[in-house]
Amino acid sequence: MIKLHTNLGVITLELDEEKAPGSVANFCAYAKDGYYDGTVFHRVIPGFMIQGGGFDEQMKQKPTRPPIKNEANNGLSNEKGTIAMARTSDPHSATAQFFINLKDNDFLDNASDTPQGWGYAVFGKVTDGLDVVEKIAQIPTGTSGMHRDVPKETVKIERVEVV
Amino acid sequence: MTTLFVSDLHLDSSRPAITRLFFEFLAGEATAADALYILGDVFEAWIGDDDDDPHHQAVIARLQDLSRAVPVAVMRGNRDFLLGDRFALMANCRLMGDAEVVDLYGTPTLLMHGDSLCTDDVAYQQFRAMARNPEWQRGMLAKPLAERRLIAKSARDESAIQNSMKPEAIMDVNADAVAAVMREHGVRRMIHGHTHRPAVHEFEIDGESVQRIVLGDWYEQGSVLRVDTDGAALSRL
Repeated sequence: MIKLHTNLGVITLELDEEKAPGSVANFCAYAKDGYYDGTVFHRVIPGFMIQGGGFDEQMKQKPTRPPIKNEANNGLSNEKGTIAMARTSDPHSATAQFFINLKDNDFLDNASDTPQGWGYAVFGKVTDGLDVVEKIAQIPTGTSGMHRDVPKETVKIERVEVV
Repeated sequence: MTTLFVSDLHLDSSRPAITRLFFEFLAGEATAADALYILGDVFEAWIGDDDDDPHHQAVIARLQDLSRAVPVAVMRGNRDFLLGDRFALMANCRLMGDAEVVDLYGTPTLLMHGDSLCTDDVAYQQFRAMARNPEWQRGMLAKPLAERRLIAKSARDESAIQNSMKPEAIMDVNADAVAAVMREHGVRRMIHGHTHRPAVHEFEIDGESVQRIVLGDWYEQGSVLRVDTDGAALSRL
């Protein structure tokens, strides 16, 4: 179990080690390193998802470990309240950033093991604190430099507890 | 007399204040201009000239109002790359090519959207090549509007997740690509948008001083470039 302590409350996550072993190990390694401490939810799109884990409060990108293999073909769906690895258009490019789905986003699921169809690897779900997630989703957003959908009030991950 | 340049308005019904600001600009300052150039991404998304989105129809009507008195030229961007002849006819605008040289009060100036210059973003350039392929476009435009709308929405959502994963440097233009395109067109000034990093860059190519002007986006305020006989000035609206 993981507890994301944010300045808006605690989000408790249950990670699926069986179906997404690589993603879970990766997330826990970052968490135990304290990598996520002080990172923000930098992209918030109501009705879609909240994304975090890669930028500090100054919206500076943090250096990461090497990318991991995409486990989107593990049968888990991007349902409301699930957590998945963010990535670029390269399917196997996930590092530290993750997102929490605000609704059922099945278009993000694996359709085929091809660059277009790989999807986004779900590796756990919110078991408590969905109200905190909803609260984050409701914060007004604006631009910050090149970035869109950045919350106007900082939503910071203060620390991550691996229970 | 002044020629006006804007880009990256990303007009969408979800941001009515920006649409209003643009309408005020069209009905105000723009009516006194020699010409208005919109260098890409006037719309957040354009799913084909048969798009019946009332917001987009209202934009077309306002462009048509202006273009009765002032020439309006529109370039395709990376969001509205499906703008076509029917749109141009409805808006009474001239649809531009991807790179055009115009004479601005004696200075030949290259106009582009700018996305093709971001050559460090290899994945985007691959997408661009696909999306600009006439066969791919025909296939896309043959789908029902509702399906296209859904595809466009999913693509935007996905790029939202993906873009903040990219290093900032690869989201900017590549200096070699800029030099190459300016040499190719034999110009010492270019104007483009896309990167949302408004600035006037002065530098040298082959020992000659050149200027690259980057237009700003319309996310939280407007941005306009005014060019006249004295030069060029970027302003916020």
